Amino acid sequence: MKRNPTAFLKETYDELVKNSFDWKLRILETGSSPHSIVEGKKVIMLCSNNYLNLSNHPRLIKESIEAAKKYGAGSGSVRAIAGTMKLHMDVEKRLAKFKRTESSLIYQTGFAANAGLIPQLAGKGDIIISDELNHGSIIDGVRLTKADRAVFKHRDMGELEKVLIDADKKYNRILVITDGVFSMDGDIAPMDEIVKLAKKYGAMTYADDAHGEGVIGDDGRGIGAHFHIEGKIDVEMGTFSKAYGVVGGLIAGSQDLVNFALNKSRTWLLSGSHPPAVAGAQLAAIDVLETEPKHVKNLWSNTNYFKKELVSMGFDTGESETPITPVMVGESSKAKKLSDRLFDEGVFALPIIFPMVARDKARIRTMMNAGLTKSDLDFMLDKFEKLGKKLGII
Amino acid sequence: MVSKIGFIVNPIAGMGGRVGLKGTDGVLHKALELGAKPVAPMKAEETLKAFLSNYSSKDEIQWFTCSGEMGADILNNVRIKKIKIIYTNAEKNTVSEDTKRACEKLLENKVDLILFCGGDGTARDIFEIVGNKIPLLGIPSGVKMHSGVFGISTGATAKMLHEFISKTLTIGEAEIMDLDEELYRKGEWNIRLFGIAKGIVEPTYVQVGKTVYESVSDDEVKDELTEHIIDEIEKYKNYLFLFGSGGTIDYIAKKMNIYNTLLGIDAVYNKKCIGKDLNEEKILNLLKKYPKTKVILSPIGAQGFILGRGNLQLSPKVIKKIGIDNIIVISTPSKLASTPVIRVDSGDKKLDRLFTKKEFMMVVIGYRLSRVVRIQTNNF
Repeated sequence: MKRNPTAFLKETYDELVKNSFDWKLRILETGSSPHSIVEGKKVIMLCSNNYLNLSNHPRLIKESIEAAKKYGAGSGSVRAIAGTMKLHMDVEKRLAKFKRTESSLIYQTGFAANAGLIPQLAGKGDIIISDELNHGSIIDGVRLTKADRAVFKHRDMGELEKVLIDADKKYNRILVITDGVFSMDGDIAPMDEIVKLAKKYGAMTYADDAHGEGVIGDDGRGIGAHFHIEGKIDVEMGTFSKAYGVVGGLIAGSQDLVNFALNKSRTWLLSGSHPPAVAGAQLAAIDVLETEPKHVKNLWSNTNYFKKELVSMGFDTGESETPITPVMVGESSKAKKLSDRLFDEGVFALPIIFPMVARDKARIRTMMNAGLTKSDLDFMLDKFEKLGKKLGII
Repeated sequence: MVSKIGFIVNPIAGMGGRVGLKGTDGVLHKALELGAKPVAPMKAEETLKAFLSNYSSKDEIQWFTCSGEMGADILNNVRIKKIKIIYTNAEKNTVSEDTKRACEKLLENKVDLILFCGGDGTARDIFEIVGNKIPLLGIPSGVKMHSGVFGISTGATAKMLHEFISKTLTIGEAEIMDLDEELYRKGEWNIRLFGIAKGIVEPTYVQVGKTVYESVSDDEVKDELTEHIIDEIEKYKNYLFLFGSGGTIDYIAKKMNIYNTLLGIDAVYNKKCIGKDLNEEKILNLLKKYPKTKVILSPIGAQGFILGRGNLQLSPKVIKKIGIDNIIVISTPSKLASTPVIRVDSGDKKLDRLFTKKEFMMVVIGYRLSRVVRIQTNNF
């Protein structure tokens, strides 16, 4: 058959461009800092996940360089064969101690953790029960299993229990998966209740705490510490890419979990391990979290101030309980407009539009940074107020 | 682009309600005697006003309508200018015949959508002529509104019209339901499923990029549901499966090359149809032979009934024998978006109570994917 085998590449891309669905990459000319230069423009960064500004912390940079000097630029192999350095093991030991769990395992990315581990935890004859607003990487992990899947209404424990009652009768293994901090609304899963319900019905629990690590719980220990249930969530999954300021996925839990996970997760087994520079910075990040509580404290005082002022101006900030503060706008086109105008005024914050969120719930998602000063916050608040009035949002 | 919207008002729809009649079909004189007042023209006007004031559409609309109170008067009242009168009604009191003749003209004019104001009777009249050739959107104004083509209020209908024109909403299935006159004359009140029309629905979306979602066609979702049902049939090899009524189940059966009655109940064993369009008696006979049975149902109509509307054959006796845990409810997510609860009116208080106790049902919305949906057993 005569065909153009690659014609779809251009056709698909053209269609995305036509519908304005293509990603227009914004190039940073500085590091990811509270004050960055994006496309030649000086802006305050309000959409990075670098919550604690640790990516710019001198200790992380120093340890990263030291590790590269000592161990080289790459790791040479996958972890399972010859790519496990003592440095990797040190990070895992320190992380488990920090998370107050028996053990931990570092994955190449958070996505690799979800896509690699979830399909191994449940299969045919099992069920995975998922909050309706879970992150895409969980959804993809779940798609790779032969297990049945059930969805419950966002944070609705009544619905969760109904599914558990039903599942208890029909399935072998039951796995309840939820985001810890939900990335669109900044609200927190009621993990204490989820763990209680799961225990009652013999289910496993899995929390993707990507936005909670380094942010919630004492000194940023994450969702287990936030609810004082450390070690009781079967899988605490997280990431080094956000508040920790580096890159990499992680899981924390029992030694049994880690033994199982490293032998079964295909993503872990089949991708190269982190370069020494990454592992060095990860170790330093844990160190900083343990010894310099000011970063987490700053993040929260900035968050509380920013949120309070936005609300007093008349903005709706939804259900947020964390440094992710959505500024509700309503219509998608208006959210896009507000984001563009904010950028013109020197504030970089992305719009989240339908169908990522409900049709009338388009918003600007702001992500606070511990490195911003009060005058930075006042500068941004002033812009939000001015544009909010201009666009008839407040 | 110019949208071509057909507009039909049944000026007497809804008049029976306040005087205690179940509609105006054939009882208009009685309704008038009892002091009934016209409702529909007001509702239609309300909808159009809401549409014009809240949703200034850049797209132009060419309206196709009937003369006088069946359409043109109302469009004139709200100062809509671009009107084509395609039908002039013959008699003073509008009857269903006028609606049907007008629909023939709308078909000829190839309108994109028929916006109508009335109840189940009007929807049925329109459906009889246009079938599933043109999508329907109903302004709720009748006494009976079980059909899935109605907006929940005048404001909501105006919004749906706007979203249809701006292509935010898509075309999907909507059941046409109405009182079964035959049974009604025998003193029984039963809502029957008359057919599957085209309605306006929220599309189903899946995430394909980080922030990019693609809407999935109803057929793609139904293909997934088919895979799921095939798995279930293979899993429960010695079970009889009763296939309920409606478009979703019909699609699945056709995909599996199994005979199916769109508006009726069929029995499937070993992936073969062994009983067509069954009544209660025939089902009960089959249940004697096949004590292990599962029944596949899909929410029907505007209120999302799985039992009690459009499938009287599945009597309390039948359901009790099958057992409520053997009911498999399937639905496309877009259908669930418009009926967030599923309703049961089994006709038997004890059985209804079993559903009330169950409180929630797992509704299958994709391949091996289900979600919790609340069950409501109040009578509607």
